[in-house]
Amino acid sequence: MNASVHRPPVRGTQPEPRRSMVVCGVIGAAVMAAVDEIVFHQILGWHHFYDRSTTGVGLLSDGLLHTAELLALVAGFFLYADLRRRGALAPAHAWAGFFLGLGAFQLFDGIVDHKLLRLHQIRYGVDLTPYDWAWNLGGLVLLLTGVVLGVRAARLGRAGPAS
Amino acid sequence: MILAHVHPAAGLGLPGPWEQVSVVAALLVAVAYGTAAGRLRRRGDVWPRWRGVSFTAGSAGVAWAAAGPLPGGPFTAHMVQHLILGMAAPLLLVLARPLTLALRVLPPGPVRRGLLSLARSRPVGRLVLPPVAALLDVGGLWLLYRTEVFAAMQHRPLLHAVVHVHVLAAGLLFTFAVCQLDPVRRRRGLPLRGTTLLAAGAAHAVLAKTLYASPPPGAVLTAADLHTGAQVMYYGGDLVEAALGVVLAASWYRAAGRAQAHRRRRAGPVTGPRAVTGAPAGPSVPDSPAGPEAASSAAARPETVRERGGGRTADARPAVGRPRGSALGFPVAVRRGPLRLRSGKGADTARRPR
Repeated sequence: MNASVHRPPVRGTQPEPRRSMVVCGVIGAAVMAAVDEIVFHQILGWHHFYDRSTTGVGLLSDGLLHTAELLALVAGFFLYADLRRRGALAPAHAWAGFFLGLGAFQLFDGIVDHKLLRLHQIRYGVDLTPYDWAWNLGGLVLLLTGVVLGVRAARLGRAGPAS
Repeated sequence: MILAHVHPAAGLGLPGPWEQVSVVAALLVAVAYGTAAGRLRRRGDVWPRWRGVSFTAGSAGVAWAAAGPLPGGPFTAHMVQHLILGMAAPLLLVLARPLTLALRVLPPGPVRRGLLSLARSRPVGRLVLPPVAALLDVGGLWLLYRTEVFAAMQHRPLLHAVVHVHVLAAGLLFTFAVCQLDPVRRRRGLPLRGTTLLAAGAAHAVLAKTLYASPPPGAVLTAADLHTGAQVMYYGGDLVEAALGVVLAASWYRAAGRAQAHRRRRAGPVTGPRAVTGAPAGPSVPDSPAGPEAASSAAARPETVRERGGGRTADARPAVGRPRGSALGFPVAVRRGPLRLRSGKGADTARRPR
């Protein structure tokens, strides 16, 4: 990623900060979804495949979201490869987008999936409060990291062309 | 164990007549594909070997799903069978582009004309509209598992065979429509095909989760078997959907690369030492910025850099060693047969109708 920061611009290729950020945000969200699936569903076995408190709407949204995550991971990878190929990747914005994606997905999962739709809980048979706090605060920290990186990237971008 | 007699081949008994027919059909189709691909290669066409491997694997999958030993309890075994028959095998078969192969290998005549007009006919065009194909595929699954069909199928071998043929045919249709690798009446855009894949995948996942909670009506299953079967359906479906996603994304990536190379060539002279590589691995990216290695190779070969801007791109490199026709983006190297492009991608598109 960093190799292309100080490369002199090749004719016809402009960095695309917005696109870099969106693409890496998609990858970030999909990666966090994959981590959730692999670590909490499969390895730890904390999340349940299906607990019977799920509503019909919850089930539908879960199916849609699950498939969307899967396809987003694939699409994000190819879009990223395309950015690299065209030399259009803006690394600072890309990292910001990646963290924004990670944090946004974790917060979404913690609040909408676990609490509003009640698809499944973090863990069963324990007091959920500390788990929920840790989960959502972790998501918030990732999100804020993304925001800070995004602000820095925007500053860099403004300073870059001027200097 | 009401379903114990569903898969006679899973036990010790000999396969039934339907299973034998399926195995023989799968074998015949695979042999036909191999023969056709061999004939194509002998006359000098490029037909990648992995397609033959893919087709053979798909046929073997069909044969195995029909007659082979399957793991787990009756419902899990049934689900593995359906995953292979309805998702994995169709993907492997469709990736091998059987229709393109048939159109290429058949001599001009009534058979080829008939096949081509069938492929381009209006009814087939409607069937391969991605949402229609998805409805036939996933809608059929909902009917099977959420009505009495599943229970009825256990006692009627004919219905059992019909259901399996439908699963395979609908799986093939859906994969064919979404991947769109073979020539069809009307090509559909990536958004429609991607959205269809998303919707079908979601419907599949929701069905798997409802199966986890409650068995198909009228079927008596153990809870463990039901749960394993439902999870096999959910995660197995994920694998194949991800593979379908890769097929779609890779075709977009290749097309975008071609379009980009085309724009660069039109824009005039390009910079950099990798102007025209003529690499046979598909479209080359003229001045692909490969980071430090591009810069260092430019420094190592100053003569190519000095000539930038001097006429056409291809002239910036010594003519010796540059394959003929590489200015088209792919090498037209050796012709063994009558006037056929020997490049993988180029030959495909060149011979594809429309």
